Amino acid sequence: MKTTAVFSAFLSLLSLASAASSKKSSSTSTTLPVTFRPPQVFRNANLVHIISVEKNYAKENINVLVENIDKAAQDEYFVPFTADQMSRLGGVEVKDRKDASAGPFVAEAVEFDQESDIQYLRIRLPKPLAPGAQQTLGISYYLLKAYKPLPASIKQEDQQYLSFSFSAYCPSAYTTNKQKTEVKFPTGNIPDYTKLPGSGEVKEFPQKQGSKLTYGPFDEKPAGAVQPVSVRFEFNKPVTHVSRLERDIEVSHWGGNVAFEERYTLHHRGANLSLLFNRVKWQQSQYYQPTTFALKELKFPLRVGSVDPYYTDVIGNVSTSRFRSNKREALLEIKPRYPVFGGWKYPFTIGWNSDAKNFLRRTAAGGFVLNVPFLEGPRQAEGVEYEQVQVRVILPEGAENVKYHTSIPTSSITEAGVEIHKTFLDTIGRTALVIKARNLVDDFRDRELVVTYDYPLVAMLRKPLIVFASVFAVLVGAWVVGNVELKFDSRKK
Amino acid sequence: MDSSLHEVWQAAAGSPFIPAVGKGSQFWVAFILLVIGFSLTGAFALNRSLVNLPVLAVPASLALAFGVVYMFCAVGVYV
Repeated sequence: MKTTAVFSAFLSLLSLASAASSKKSSSTSTTLPVTFRPPQVFRNANLVHIISVEKNYAKENINVLVENIDKAAQDEYFVPFTADQMSRLGGVEVKDRKDASAGPFVAEAVEFDQESDIQYLRIRLPKPLAPGAQQTLGISYYLLKAYKPLPASIKQEDQQYLSFSFSAYCPSAYTTNKQKTEVKFPTGNIPDYTKLPGSGEVKEFPQKQGSKLTYGPFDEKPAGAVQPVSVRFEFNKPVTHVSRLERDIEVSHWGGNVAFEERYTLHHRGANLSLLFNRVKWQQSQYYQPTTFALKELKFPLRVGSVDPYYTDVIGNVSTSRFRSNKREALLEIKPRYPVFGGWKYPFTIGWNSDAKNFLRRTAAGGFVLNVPFLEGPRQAEGVEYEQVQVRVILPEGAENVKYHTSIPTSSITEAGVEIHKTFLDTIGRTALVIKARNLVDDFRDRELVVTYDYPLVAMLRKPLIVFASVFAVLVGAWVVGNVELKFDSRKK
Repeated sequence: MDSSLHEVWQAAAGSPFIPAVGKGSQFWVAFILLVIGFSLTGAFALNRSLVNLPVLAVPASLALAFGVVYMFCAVGVYV
């Protein structure tokens, strides 16, 4: 208790000091004064924090029963994160646990002091909570780059262990009456975890049940209370991290085609090799011990109807891939050129085509509507995390009045705009909708992106008209040049 | 962002986009148009006159124009 009180006092001093030193302010509407503290208008009556480290990102769920202890109705609930966590935070979704029709609620990062170690996420309740009233919030989010391998380097046939640090008390900007933190692991092999003195009937926290650790229940904790703990667990799977994914979706009306291309910059964030890679040992282990922490295969379940897949990297075509396509599935299985171990990187490109009728429809108003998945990465048992995602929908040349809607959390989208993309047979360039997002995970695969646009007939005829004009100009030129008299006229008139 | 777009997509369920020339026939359409275009260009080249400009040059240019666009699509560059 003392440590937490000292820690929170230190944090508040730290942010005061940085508040004094920082005079920067931004003019956006979410900006709050540097001395901002969440008003103590709520109390967490009961809180359950579930952390899942089963995949190679941490998925956290905070289910909290909040109570308005102020005299006025309140509609802003703040959740604190450290600045480091904030940069790795993604996919925030907030719902009412008891009323599914009410959500999702708007959750946005508060800009108040860039140098403060504590940053806040502001959740707007759709209806202000009356004094004394209670509401159950389900806050879910993902933390990327969550783990560190421990030991940091191992032999290629060894088991990989990861460590993960968090707070046993759920970080909150409000007093919490009762809480517990559950951590779910991929296996029951958890060799190290921080032990805390228990309370009540329990002598010691955490309690271990199979592949789950439970810290708590804890009694009342003040706002900002933290209790750092760390766990080390077996994770003998690749820690796949995509630092950048560029996804292009190119719509062709003339060809009746939608072309997809995805460029990945993939990293393995797991344990490095302590010795040089041994190809013979690797081949042997494929037979007697096939489970390994190296990444050796990626499976992309594409939409049914996908055709002409390709898989290349910086060298060129990679032949170690299979494409199984029938009426029920279109599964692209690719093997990297080399098994990817911790600390290694593998950039590659895949692409495929599909008939436009699968994704594109005509609207009653005469325009067009396109519905494509926002993200279609690999489906791996261990999960995949994406740090930066750029989705570019390249519409036909001359498309206008572009509108879009996507069902991925709005807080994950950093930038969206319409640009011009020039390629074959273009004169003014194609209209390209570019959406940039950050910190996504493969749970958001197949979330849809709907784009509507108008495409007038004149714009559609632009390409043949340009070729027509060019060819006709050449023929007229030939006729004009053919009529020029170059000989001396010898006849006398 | 406009959340009503999903309804626009649902409402348009009965009218998927079908191109004028399907993927399977793009190559032959393009090939025939290009053959016609080059033949008419050749005919015009042999007999260049003001009358032949609308009679040969205009249809030659039109056939080449659509032929080029469809040939681009037929070889996999979906313009």
